[in-house]
Amino acid sequence: MNPERPTVGWLDAPREWLDAFGEIARFGSRVAGIVLTGRGFRFFGEGLRQAGILIFGSALIIWAFVFIIGLQCGIQGAYFNRSVGAPSLAGLFSSYCDLREAVPYAFGYILAAKVGTGIVAELGAMRISDEIDALEVMGIEPVTFLAASRLLGAWIALPFLYLVGIGVAYLASYIAVVQQVGDVSSGGYLLIFWKFQSPPDLFFSLIKGMVMATIIVLVGCYYGYTASGGPIGVGTATAKSMVVNIIIVHIIGMLGTVVFWGSNPRAPIGG
Amino acid sequence: MMILTAKTIVAAVRPPFPYGEELVWQFLFVLKLCWFPLTISTFALNLGAPGLQAAGILSLFGALDRLGGFFVVTAVRWIGPLVTAVVVAGVAGTAITADLGARKIREELDALQVLGVDPIKNLVVPRFLSLMVVTALLDIFAIVFGLSAGIAAELIYRQSLGGFFATLFTNATVTDIAVSALMCTMFGAIIAVVCCYKGMTASGGAEGVGRAVNQAVVIALVAVFFFQFVVTSVVLATNPQLQAIR
Repeated sequence: MNPERPTVGWLDAPREWLDAFGEIARFGSRVAGIVLTGRGFRFFGEGLRQAGILIFGSALIIWAFVFIIGLQCGIQGAYFNRSVGAPSLAGLFSSYCDLREAVPYAFGYILAAKVGTGIVAELGAMRISDEIDALEVMGIEPVTFLAASRLLGAWIALPFLYLVGIGVAYLASYIAVVQQVGDVSSGGYLLIFWKFQSPPDLFFSLIKGMVMATIIVLVGCYYGYTASGGPIGVGTATAKSMVVNIIIVHIIGMLGTVVFWGSNPRAPIGG
Repeated sequence: MMILTAKTIVAAVRPPFPYGEELVWQFLFVLKLCWFPLTISTFALNLGAPGLQAAGILSLFGALDRLGGFFVVTAVRWIGPLVTAVVVAGVAGTAITADLGARKIREELDALQVLGVDPIKNLVVPRFLSLMVVTALLDIFAIVFGLSAGIAAELIYRQSLGGFFATLFTNATVTDIAVSALMCTMFGAIIAVVCCYKGMTASGGAEGVGRAVNQAVVIALVAVFFFQFVVTSVVLATNPQLQAIR
């Protein structure tokens, strides 16, 4: 029915990923360099505006998503602990699950979906309609103005969104374990729940989430900045950025776990 | 979207069936796009989250053989379907929306309608059916790679694998696997409908297709995760044999 199908090979996905990886690393280190050396602060107002867009446009959807993940952590933990005969220890599972693993992953997924692809669509449209070239002609460095200010905005806003997200997930797990399943009393749950986490864990978790966020913003900026091929090209670039982001989120999640908790589970058990 | 779902289901079962070739092609397309991200993602997620974290705490108790039972909960019930949904929505769903959105912008969909070809029957139905089948199939891959990540975690802690397999197979039930696969079929349906709808209603030139992809993947992820929460709570609450102590 449709003879003009694009041909896809079995190895296209890994090849595309390897291709893009080097380019993204070069582009990303350039953008991060601009922000870290202070040159990005030339457009501090634009950075603040981007932070505002993140807060008003994405905060609610991020928290809603994290809330669902928190609910899932709660019920899985409650039923698993029932099956090993220790339903009162459901707080252990949900504390580990919320703080160390699920919230960083959920944050990464929804950030890649909402913010990453949003940046690609926005910058890609600018590239297609030659607005980026126009910026260059006007003497404004487009990488600094568009990419670096978005990274700056993300670094301003996202740590706070992330910390509130952790709180939202805690609330959701509490609702799921104590109100929905109800094997354990509120006090018993919270005792175990708070025992099995410490401020350094929160800090490690924040680092994990922020590394993911940084790379997602950079990947989005790269694909938007290099989009080509008309309106269709923007759609394809958006789809590609999502593929790269999913793989990167999982790899960072695993590396973060290995680095922070790999040899020391940091649990208040034994000596 | 509900109207599109209903129309798609009706078009799928009512003859004639002109979508066979497109169905096979879509099936291979999704499979070819998804296998690599899925393999990496599910191995990494299972090695990090349930593998090393749970092995760390279980080794304090000296009960590393219980990791197999734990992997039934995580890899089969939870993370397998979850990662499959994220990868299918993020990889195949975005590709579908970008493809259909491009056709909408180029007015190919209108041209098809003028030619008397029903776009729902010829474009949406094959994607809907192939995504349902592929998602369930990829779920099995996700479970296999998830369990191999569990084996890797056991090996990192220098355990013999006998205890892992013993607790794995005593705790795993047919219900777990069946629910996991059926849930993924429904995920595929949700993702296909959301992504086709957003692609077919794309508008607004260059930014329109990108916006459509953006909205499609956000709606698909939130819908799928919420659906998974509902299904998991219902299944776990109505099947007490899943929580028996073994």
